[in-house]
Amino acid sequence: MDWTVIPKNLGFLFEGLIVSFQLAGLTLALALPLGSIIALGRLSSRKWIYYLTSAFVHGLRANPLLLIVFWFYFLVPIIIGRPIGDFTSVLIAFVVFYSAYFAEIVRSGIQSVGRGQIWAGYSIGLTYFQTMRYIILPPALRRMVPLLVTQTIILFQGTTVAFIIGLKEFLHRTSLVSERTLKSFELYIFAAVVYLVICYSGSFLSRRLEVKQ
Amino acid sequence: MSMDPPIIQIKNLSFWYGDFKALDNINEEVRKGNCIVICGPSGSGKSSLLRCINGLEKFQQGDVIVDGIGVRNCTDFPKLRSNIGMVFQHFELFPHMNALENITLGPRKVKGKSKKEAEEKGLELLSRVGLSDHSHKHPGNLSGGQQQRVAIARALALEPKVMLFDEPTSALDPEMIGEVLDVMLDLAKEGMTMLVVTHEMGFAREVADEILFIDEGRIIERGTDESFFKHPKNPRTKEFLDKILM
Repeated sequence: MDWTVIPKNLGFLFEGLIVSFQLAGLTLALALPLGSIIALGRLSSRKWIYYLTSAFVHGLRANPLLLIVFWFYFLVPIIIGRPIGDFTSVLIAFVVFYSAYFAEIVRSGIQSVGRGQIWAGYSIGLTYFQTMRYIILPPALRRMVPLLVTQTIILFQGTTVAFIIGLKEFLHRTSLVSERTLKSFELYIFAAVVYLVICYSGSFLSRRLEVKQ
Repeated sequence: MSMDPPIIQIKNLSFWYGDFKALDNINEEVRKGNCIVICGPSGSGKSSLLRCINGLEKFQQGDVIVDGIGVRNCTDFPKLRSNIGMVFQHFELFPHMNALENITLGPRKVKGKSKKEAEEKGLELLSRVGLSDHSHKHPGNLSGGQQQRVAIARALALEPKVMLFDEPTSALDPEMIGEVLDVMLDLAKEGMTMLVVTHEMGFAREVADEILFIDEGRIIERGTDESFFKHPKNPRTKEFLDKILM
């Protein structure tokens, strides 16, 4: 056992962790708003909007993340005629994929608020968007927080999928060091501890928020 | 007898919930300042009728005209609804806002009033319903009767021409019914046009200009108070009155 391999390569590994965080953070920042819009579509009384957004949600949830990543990595450059870069391609795939999951969380949150509140908003003359903004979303979002945190942890773990197309995220860099130094045992234990600390902090936070309510 | 045009005209209104016909050819005219009490068994269509009047339900046949605006082809629901206050069985106050914020939201967002202006009016309304000291409490910290009085103040804040009450006392503990009915009685006596779905027949006797009995989506009996209570023409009305008056 030689644990010095970790401090020796810490800078290199840390850069990978930054990439993982960037991918997860940007995905969250883009997929949550997109998912919220899709959730409103899933609740729309206009049939075509409902069917379109439902097809999107079900289509993506019925496919593995890896396939979506491949799809954007291999097919999109063919369609648009030029490469779009590893990070961008994975980011787009992640945003599309996770927006389907966020959409379902937001939809159930909105539905938990109840029709009477929507009627009350409308009855004082608010428009659809005002009713959502002032009446439905504030309590709905509060109820959604624990689920959103859980989904974000899953999203963070999911960033490892980007390994497959060569993006140098944390796990990929760990593996590169391992190939170079042959210290795979130490390195993968270290990686496990890093993921454990980050994800456990997240789920601890989520439980605290649940208790508060 | 003055014959102003009615403030609400309901013409051949029919409404289906999927395949179920909830309202079947309803006709009614409400004049300014009148109080109409609507009663009938649960599921008979009373609440649906109120919700058709402010366009919360999209009815398929006939029309409702409120102060000159046709509801069926309405293109500006916020304008229509700011003329029609509505009070719900389960209050439906906004739980994340305090009493005053509940009341001022409509005037601020719909009528563009300033916060100060809306709050002055809101406090005045709260004192009118006897809740001056409760303006900063959230609905969770108010009793059912207090919540319903805030809900009435919220509806009044838009200065509506018509008020709709959908079973406003049926979710309340018995000792709180009186405080809500008192507010409604005052309103009726001040000349507010009101449609009230209720089984409080004491209220009906005191202020109703007309009582409608609805069963299976149809108005099967109508009358002013004494004729309605003493000589119901329809056996269903008699049966119903016997049950609720005992």
